[in-house]
Formats: sequence, C-alpha cells, structure tokens
Amino acid sequence: MLVSFDNIIDKTINEKVIALHQAFAKRFFPGLIETVPAYSSLAVFYDTDVIKKNNPKIKSVFGFVKAFTEQVISGMDDVMIQNDECIISVPVYYNGDDLGAVAASNGITTAELVNIHTEKIYLVFMIGFQPGFAYMGEVDKRIATPRLASPRSKVPAGSVGIAGSQTGIYPFASPGGWKLIGQTPIKIFDVKKSEPCLFKPGDRVKFVSISKTVFKKINEY
Amino acid sequence: MSIKIIKQGVLTTLQDLGRNGFRAIGVGTGGAMDLFAASVSNYLAGNDDSNTVIEINYPAAEILFEKDGLVSLAGADFTALVDDKPMPLWSPFIIRKDSVLKFKKPAAGSKVYLAVAGGWPAENWLGSSSTNLHVKAGGYLGRSLCKGDELQFEATSLPMNRQPSWNISQFELDKIYKPANIIRCIRSVEWELMDATSKNNFSQLQFTVSNQSDRMGYRLNGEKLNLSDTIELISSPVDAGTIQLLPDGNVIVLMADHQTTGGYPRIASVIKADLPKFSQLKPGQLVSFQLLEMQAAEEALISMRCLLNEIKYGCHFNFKKHFNID
Repeated sequence: MLVSFDNIIDKTINEKVIALHQAFAKRFFPGLIETVPAYSSLAVFYDTDVIKKNNPKIKSVFGFVKAFTEQVISGMDDVMIQNDECIISVPVYYNGDDLGAVAASNGITTAELVNIHTEKIYLVFMIGFQPGFAYMGEVDKRIATPRLASPRSKVPAGSVGIAGSQTGIYPFASPGGWKLIGQTPIKIFDVKKSEPCLFKPGDRVKFVSISKTVFKKINEY
Repeated sequence: MSIKIIKQGVLTTLQDLGRNGFRAIGVGTGGAMDLFAASVSNYLAGNDDSNTVIEINYPAAEILFEKDGLVSLAGADFTALVDDKPMPLWSPFIIRKDSVLKFKKPAAGSKVYLAVAGGWPAENWLGSSSTNLHVKAGGYLGRSLCKGDELQFEATSLPMNRQPSWNISQFELDKIYKPANIIRCIRSVEWELMDATSKNNFSQLQFTVSNQSDRMGYRLNGEKLNLSDTIELISSPVDAGTIQLLPDGNVIVLMADHQTTGGYPRIASVIKADLPKFSQLKPGQLVSFQLLEMQAAEEALISMRCLLNEIKYGCHFNFKKHFNID
C-alpha cells in the first residue's frame, strides 16, 4: 500500500513521510513486513495471508491496513522527526570529472563550489536506486545543476554527485547521470557489517573537504 | 564435497524466500523468482519452505553428485536427466553417488528449482541466503555458481534403498500455472494517468516478453501505451510485480531483484498469486493482462497459500511414511 503526500521534493513533506516511517516502527502488528519512505510517499509492505489469519473477520486486508495507517497518521499530529543527535561527516576529495563544468555553468570557481557544498547540513530524504544510495538535499541554488544529457556507463564507487537540487553518493560502481564533483574514500555500504548502510532516511549529513593524500590514506574501496 | 558444478549454466543461484526489512536502505527482497515452485521443491524433499534451493536457468548447469541425496525438481521442465535417464519434475527422487544431473532441452517454463533433503548450505546475509548479485552477498559468495564450485550438503541418515513416489498432481499445478498466458493484475497508483485508449489496450491486447528480461524485471513489447499528459514523477517505492510504463511506451514488470524505488509511472501490479506463473514466461511468449479488484487479488493469494499448506502436509506425511519416521 502506498501513502502519497505529494509529488514534489520538499523538506517539510519528506519529514512527514519519515515521521510516519518512524511511527510505524513503534506500532507493529502481525503481518506488517516493513515500511519504505521515499521523497513524498511511504510504502507499507504487509503479508495478506498473515493479517487475514490474525483477523479472520475482516473483509478486506487492504482496508484493514489502510484503517491502521490512518490511525497512525492521526496519532502523530505534532510528532517531529526523530533525528540522532549526531551529524554524519563524509570526507570528500573534490576532484570529480564535472567539478569544473558545474562551477563554470554556475559562474563560480571550483573552490567556491566546494565551500558551498561543504557548508550545508543535508537531510537524507530517501534511499533507493541501489543499496545505500542516499538522496540528500537540498543543495544551495548556486551549485544546483541538471543531470548529464547522456548518463555515464560507469560511475566509480564512492563518487559524489549533484542532480538538480539533490546531492548523493554512488555506493557501488554503476551507470549514472549525476554530475560528479568528488569522491569519498569511505564505504557507504559495507556488506560485511551487520548494519551495512552508513545512512538511514532522516539522517543529517555534512561533507568535509579532504586532500588527495588523506583520500589515499583512508581509501576503503 | 557433495555436489560439484561440472558445466556452468547461464545463471545458477542459491535462493530462499527473500529478505525483508531492508528496503528502506535500498536492499530489495531478492529470493526465488517463482516462490511457489521453490517452496514446493522444498516440501517434496521433506524440507520447510525456508530452506535454500538452487534456481536454475537454461542453458542449465551440469551437477555431479559425490554422495547419495534425496532431491526434487519443481518449476520449469528442462528435461532433467540423471546419467541419461529421464527424471521426474514435481516429484522427489534419489540420486546416487557419482551420478550427473543435467538438463537436455527447455520444454516449458524458464526456472527450475533443485532442493535437497536438509537444504543446501548457503551464506546468510541480512537474514536470508538469497544471492544478491548486485552487492555480491548471500548464497554462494554472492554470485552465480561456476564450473568447479562445490556445495556440501548434510549427509542424510535416511535409508536410500527405495525411490520415493509422491508427487504434485496436474490438477493442483493447473490452479497456479493455467491459463499460462493470462496474468491477473490490479490497477496501481498511476493507472489514472494513462489515456483511455491505453487503459483499454492494456487489458485487451497481448504483449510479448522481450529478451531484455532478467531477475530485475521482464520487459514487454507491444502496442505503445501513453499518458494523457506528460508528467515528471519523483522516485517512489516499487515492489515485485509492479508494472511500470517506460518513456518509450513499453512496460516492464519488476521482478525479485528490482530496485526498491523508481520514477516511472506504476500503471498496474501483477498479483502475488500470479507472479510464479509470470516468472516462468520466456522471451518471445505472449501475455495478456486481466484486471481484478483488490479483494479478488487478496483471495487469490490466500488460496495459493492454502494450496501450499496442503501440499506441505501431503509431502511431509509421505516423506515420514516412506522413511518410517514418526
């Protein structure tokens, strides 16, 4: 089942989505599998068979989940998104293939671009596209940039990019159309860890500029 | 050593029912494409449905057994042979030490599941043994089985002197797999964005499974479908069975290894009860969609689970009787 709030990228709407995602985590019922937040919608995954077995009298399982969801939503009027106190720092060596072009098209220097990108604290709106790919935003208007007209067939793992007003990191090498401004030496998604993903939706992230030497010293890829 | 891959297949992966709970960090469920056949292959071999099975595609792997085992095949008919003798589908059999299991030709379906009594050993990742090919985790080193790979299975204490004889009836299988080319679905979030002709065409016309089909999704070709207005959607969650309308007017049905979010309009969803049947389609085959209401989709899923339960009890009863287990 999908709960749609809107079809826009907006911090206030996304915070509602994530607050609902967090509210579900505290309101388990048998048959609820998981909830998945996106920019402005939340998917509720459930097992029809299990819900029906636990509630034999209900006519529609979908109706049951819908009513439950409405109850959760109405109970969270002023509930604010629960952020961890900490801000996740991500080191970036700003050497991306599109760094110069993005700066030039915005009429700024690459040094200014780095300053602007590292200045702000970003919100993880959602994770999707590939395991651990966090869509973060919003970047300052002065560094916003459209996607590449034709995507690269291979973007290296750890690449940091900008697409429109969003910024993100490719956890794995893959095709991709985001403009690349740098590279992080840390693993965003590590299959060997019991909590493999560095981020979760709702986290706050700050980028820190590092030198080539430090990048090489840390490089986990 | 228990089995050894002596000839590599096109895609041979260890799978289970999939992993839940990690979609929010971008990790999809994965798992067997045909969950019905995967579960039944386990039941036939006396297992629970959570055991790991091998999902085999055609051209299929050839597998040398280095010890006796009670195995079963369920799903596609690839004309299974053991030492050149035909072996049954949907029925367990004992395979002897030093025998080779191979598959001669793809007669029907696209995926066959091989289960062994006791289950195949597999690497568990985030609560599931399903192979995640993207991040290379779970199953067997997170990849397809290659020539030379070996899998140990638990030595069984069961007497292997008599071939088992239980099977799944055609009558039961037809409930899941027939009619083969009619796939039931429900309207999805962006259904109403399609123009009237496209809505009509979706449920009236036939589509062809494209050869650009894999564990992530099956692309279909046919009459192009259109939206009434152009609309730019932002990424939103998707599921196995979600039918997305691509910019070129063709559709893709997302399968077990799909991405967790997507930005194309979701016009409909294949109902869970028809995903086993749909997953067994091959490139070139025709398919047509039949629209259902949500309640009918729920009833179909509940019936499938009931059938699976009956099959489980039947198989386990026969298994215990055959091996004199109390």
